[in-house]
Amino acid sequence: MPQLWTEKYRPKKVAEVVGNQDSVKAFLEWMKSWEIGNPAKKAALLYGPAGVGKTSLVLAYGREYGYDVVEVNASDWRNEEKMKAVVGESSQYASLDGYSKKIILVDEVDGIAGREDAGGISALRKIINETRVPIVMVANNPWDQKLAPIREQSVMIEFKRLSKTAITKRLKEICEREGIKVPDDVLSKLAERSEGDLRSAIMDLQAVAAGKNTLTEKDLEVLGERNRVKEIFEALRYIFYAKSIRGARAAIEGLELEPQAIYTWILDNAPTQITEPDELAQAFDLLARADIYFARIEKLQMWRLMKYAIPMMTGGVAVARRTPPKGFQKFTFPHKIRLFQQYKNEREIRQSIAWKIASKLHLSSYKAGKEMLPYIGFIISRSDKSKPRIVEYFEFTDEEVGYLKKIYGEVEEKKEEIKEVKVKKPVKHSRGKS
Amino acid sequence: MSLETVTTLPWVEKYRPKTLNDVVNQEEVITSLKNILKTKAVPHMLFAGPPGVGKTATAHAFARDLYGPNYIEDGWFVEINASDERGIQTIRDKVKMFARQIPMGGEVGFKILLLDESDQLTDDAQHAFRRVMEQYSSTCRFILAANYSNRIIEPIQSRCAVFRFRPLLKKDIIGRIKWIAEQEKLEVDDAALETIYEFCEGDMRRAINTLQAAASISRKIDEKTIYYILGYVSRGEIRKILELAMSGNFIQARDELRKLIYVQGLAGSDIVSAIYRELFYLDLSEEDKLELIDLLGEVDYRMAEGGTEEVQLMAFLARLAAKSKKVNVGR
Repeated sequence: MPQLWTEKYRPKKVAEVVGNQDSVKAFLEWMKSWEIGNPAKKAALLYGPAGVGKTSLVLAYGREYGYDVVEVNASDWRNEEKMKAVVGESSQYASLDGYSKKIILVDEVDGIAGREDAGGISALRKIINETRVPIVMVANNPWDQKLAPIREQSVMIEFKRLSKTAITKRLKEICEREGIKVPDDVLSKLAERSEGDLRSAIMDLQAVAAGKNTLTEKDLEVLGERNRVKEIFEALRYIFYAKSIRGARAAIEGLELEPQAIYTWILDNAPTQITEPDELAQAFDLLARADIYFARIEKLQMWRLMKYAIPMMTGGVAVARRTPPKGFQKFTFPHKIRLFQQYKNEREIRQSIAWKIASKLHLSSYKAGKEMLPYIGFIISRSDKSKPRIVEYFEFTDEEVGYLKKIYGEVEEKKEEIKEVKVKKPVKHSRGKS
Repeated sequence: MSLETVTTLPWVEKYRPKTLNDVVNQEEVITSLKNILKTKAVPHMLFAGPPGVGKTATAHAFARDLYGPNYIEDGWFVEINASDERGIQTIRDKVKMFARQIPMGGEVGFKILLLDESDQLTDDAQHAFRRVMEQYSSTCRFILAANYSNRIIEPIQSRCAVFRFRPLLKKDIIGRIKWIAEQEKLEVDDAALETIYEFCEGDMRRAINTLQAAASISRKIDEKTIYYILGYVSRGEIRKILELAMSGNFIQARDELRKLIYVQGLAGSDIVSAIYRELFYLDLSEEDKLELIDLLGEVDYRMAEGGTEEVQLMAFLARLAAKSKKVNVGR
């Protein structure tokens, strides 16, 4: 069987990688920090759409600079144990023969996040902490919440779609090497329909040109129409304004995002697009149903349930939205992801406080955060000493005390207001119970 | 007035029972444990019972009575919280480290390991742990504490002496709070005591925390002070979210809900319980309340089934918003 051109013409050297030169530079700098033995982060996460050279860059680098690239595909392992066995082991030894250096390449990390095996992610996280060799991860969508811990540990390097010119140029080189004559405008058509995905362009080229000496525009007609890749914002507009469930469902075909990722976008845009409370409640009923299907898919690995989840989440919001919003409502980036960035610091402080309480009071950190932290914050905030002894007891830092005072401290007006409101209502409570 | 004395130590720690004699209202358990102390033939034990009734404290008191006051420092006793140590491997490693050697000079030939919140272990972890119990039983005895003994797999239960801790009675909690108030020279009126009891839902830890927080504002504690604290430290946030949803600010309600889940790290089940408590006092018709209670039950169940907490709770808030709009229009 003839070799696939996508393999045959994979870059052999870093310089041959097409486009994304800033990302290549960022990667080289990071590897350099390994070479001199002082990486600030031990892992790199290369992310972006398919077929733009993420994996190729790593392979080319390994080849050029004498690294063994140990490839682990996310579909190879599913759980913590496997992860440890495969990646953990090899991350502890520089190489088998003691000569060559090593890079671990974990492909499709976003594929692990989608499944139930959260153990895989936490194992990976531990492995990154302890690794002695560079770990490179590759993902299309790195924004899954489950990948958050890994994002924090990694140098994030984004890859973008390739320009039409860059793809045309590469196709031309391949044609020359294969001895095929192709007019520029035909190559340019091929490049265009690939929408920035070099791999698919090369695939198409091989499909229509292999074994030929020339290629004309007519030859391209045999190519099936690949689904048009719509930008997510465009897709959202189609979804929310679809006239039928089928229309809404069709809007997500061709998006290079997993249904669960698209779901987040729909979920967080629903409240701005659907303003009537009744309609919003209906939309959320259906979104909640889709969520249940996702849960069942993960739990039972019953992928065929996906066909029920998708109409719920796409057709659901389309059918529920009957009243047009007042004026044009922009579609936005999911709030959830912004929230994570915005409150990262606060979350960490809170966790650190919870751990300190837990270690003194024989509690889990969760219970410490829930049951003790608010009370301790309240007490510290009301002490007239600038550093009450309870602060020393728990060994809180100034930053932590500052946080507690900010959240549980006294706001004079608020105090009165709360007294009024809170005192009245719960009185019923005691009557109701006795 | 300086209230510095209030802020030296958490009272849950200060007034934690030090010996078995100090443990409140668990007479049967304590009697059996005292008998075990006499013979020093300690079995593996499972302490089961609701939160805040003294399981952890009893385990510590037992160890202190067995090994003496330096039971931790001398290396006889260690505590692992299963909800923080998820992987069985960590537990196994820790157990191995701990159980491998027996300290010199003791008259008891084994150590004690307390595995707190052991019902948080997954089934797989429990099966692995069962082996651990056997492997190290000659040098180490285990006390497992759990809220729900039915979440502990049978093979473990059958290897343990099971002790059931009773829920605390009203008189136990009020009695203890009164006693602490005396020690701390506080004046707490009866209505305040009632309120503390009602809110704490049988959890002594919560009751003591509420008292200490109250004492940080005033030595004279009445009902108002207690409500003020409850609004501040526990009920306030949930109420705010419900009120936002009801007044049509769904997006703000959603954002606050997410902060509870992702910044504070609250579990969905705890949020559901808090909503449940508030639901009865919302400005809605009784019919609507019933419908919402039913929906909340569905949310609770779905989360247990694996549904995403924020999504299921948002669906509840959206329904609440729709219900309150009807009420507003109807007026």
